[in-house]
Amino acid sequence: MKSLITAVLVAGVALWTMVEAGATLGAGTDVALPEQGTPPEPLVIVVNRMNPVDDLSFADLRSIFLGSRSYWNNGKRITVVMREPGEQERRVILHDVCGMDEEQFKTHFLRGLYTGEILVSPKTLDTPVGVRKFIFNVPGAIGYLRESDVDPTVKVVRVDERLPWDKGYRLRVP
Amino acid sequence: MASRHNIRLLLIVCTGTAVIGGIVIRDLQDANVETQEHYRRSVHGLQRIGELQYDIQETRRATLYALTTSDSNLQVVYADQSRDADKRVRDAIAEYENQSKEPAETAVARRLAEDWSKYLAVRDEVLASILEGSIKDAVSLDLSNGVPAFDCVRKDLDTVKHLYDQDAAGRQASLAASSRRSVTRLIGILCFTFLLSSIAVWNIQRSYMSGTIQLARLQMEFVASVSHELRTPLAVLMSAADNIADGLVEGKAALQKYGAILRHQSRSIGDLVDQILLFASTEDSKGNYAPERLEVGTLLAEIVSGTDELMRKAGAVLDVRIDGNLPLIIGNRTGISQCMQNLIGNAVKYGGDDPRIEIRAFLAPGREGSEMVVRVAVTDHGIGIDPSEIPRIFDPFYRSPRVRAAQIHGTGLGLSLAKRIAEAMGGWISVTSELARGSTFTLNMPIGRGGETKAENLQTSPSPS
Repeated sequence: MKSLITAVLVAGVALWTMVEAGATLGAGTDVALPEQGTPPEPLVIVVNRMNPVDDLSFADLRSIFLGSRSYWNNGKRITVVMREPGEQERRVILHDVCGMDEEQFKTHFLRGLYTGEILVSPKTLDTPVGVRKFIFNVPGAIGYLRESDVDPTVKVVRVDERLPWDKGYRLRVP
Repeated sequence: MASRHNIRLLLIVCTGTAVIGGIVIRDLQDANVETQEHYRRSVHGLQRIGELQYDIQETRRATLYALTTSDSNLQVVYADQSRDADKRVRDAIAEYENQSKEPAETAVARRLAEDWSKYLAVRDEVLASILEGSIKDAVSLDLSNGVPAFDCVRKDLDTVKHLYDQDAAGRQASLAASSRRSVTRLIGILCFTFLLSSIAVWNIQRSYMSGTIQLARLQMEFVASVSHELRTPLAVLMSAADNIADGLVEGKAALQKYGAILRHQSRSIGDLVDQILLFASTEDSKGNYAPERLEVGTLLAEIVSGTDELMRKAGAVLDVRIDGNLPLIIGNRTGISQCMQNLIGNAVKYGGDDPRIEIRAFLAPGREGSEMVVRVAVTDHGIGIDPSEIPRIFDPFYRSPRVRAAQIHGTGLGLSLAKRIAEAMGGWISVTSELARGSTFTLNMPIGRGGETKAENLQTSPSPS
């Protein structure tokens, strides 16, 4: 009898443990699924519509966003437009293009401006609309937008000969 | 007659006044519409020019505001404001060009559009420099190119305003001219109305006066005629009375002769007085003649027999013919008798040298041909009536100048009296006449509804009655 009771208790504890374990597993699955199901959105490099540039390499982008290159081939001065620090799009550019974090980026520009290696620091705008309008007004401006924020007032350029919707496009916002 | 004339004049005046009033109201309405249109165009034009001026300034102001900050977000907002104002300016210039009618307006609209495009090109460069952070470049560019380009735009705008002022002055002058025309027209119309009214009042007054004068003249003629008619028998009476009083009349036969003269002249005076009284009493004679059904033949026989003495004295020959089966007429025995005596008396009086007088009674259609009437026509072969006088012979106291010249005595009341009596009985008197050939006066009497007849055919052969 005693052994029977013990067996039943053991079985009950085991069952409870299994149920608890199953519930925890189920909850973890629910959280993870949306992250796995939402594909990252392309981050589009945009310039003024009057700018003749159609294609930029990753190296070009890096030299432009880091201020090493100040002029376009047509002689227009390059003006880089960034989003506010902390924005996802800015993080992607800093990480994927510049290979820096926020602090390194700031330090790089402080040093460059101080030494005269860099002529102007990037312009910072609060919203995608602001970025778009800035680029529309300034012929030498270059910036980045989520694909959903792009409209005909700006021109989309290829990166390493790939358009944002092409397979293999590297710049994506989670 | 006079009152019909007056009514016609009043109608003319009323119609004229209504037409003129309509013209005046129309004129005032047109002037009002023109004024409103002028006001609307002026206000709209000034508003549009004011808006254009404001938007041009706003375009530049917003651009320059972008210079005052280093915040790129704010600079983008100012750039947006400048572009919005610029779009409104371009729309306004296009509207002005579309609405321009004069070549000068079209030319200045095109020049303004061109100069504005030139300024916008500079403005875009200035904005780009500001957003890039090249403030010095932006200011330099604006001073070197922006200010002159904007001055050109401002001059164009001044030209637009000047042309608008000219157009407004032209419209103002046109409005003033139109207003002057309206006032002149109004004064003319008022003068015309006043003149027309004066003529109408003058005519009415004249017709009233002429009617009064005519009545007074007829009354004077009547008094003279009556006096003359009374004086003749009175003279005879006085003469006969003097002869008797002076003892110049001796013997029974002479006295009988004088007595007969006195009786005849007294009767003449009495008859004349009776006729005057009868005329006065028939002024409103509707109720004086109670209608009754009368048999024409019998009635005419009585009337004819009553004129025996008159016929005999005048030597007239009466021919009476009455159609058979005539219906009974509706009339008054006394009234018909008075009418017929007057008509027969006139036939004798104006029969001239031809003694024949015919009386015919027959059935004929009425005035409008709807109901039958009995007509009793009295025809003489005497002096006749001038056609121009026929409309007046039934007027009271009227006597033809020709009759007066021929010294045919009368009061001018006979026909008027007969007409009044006939109408009081529901009948009427008609006349046909030919100068120097004679006249026919016809008494038309309505017949009874049942159309009762009495078989009788009274035909009297020509014979002195």
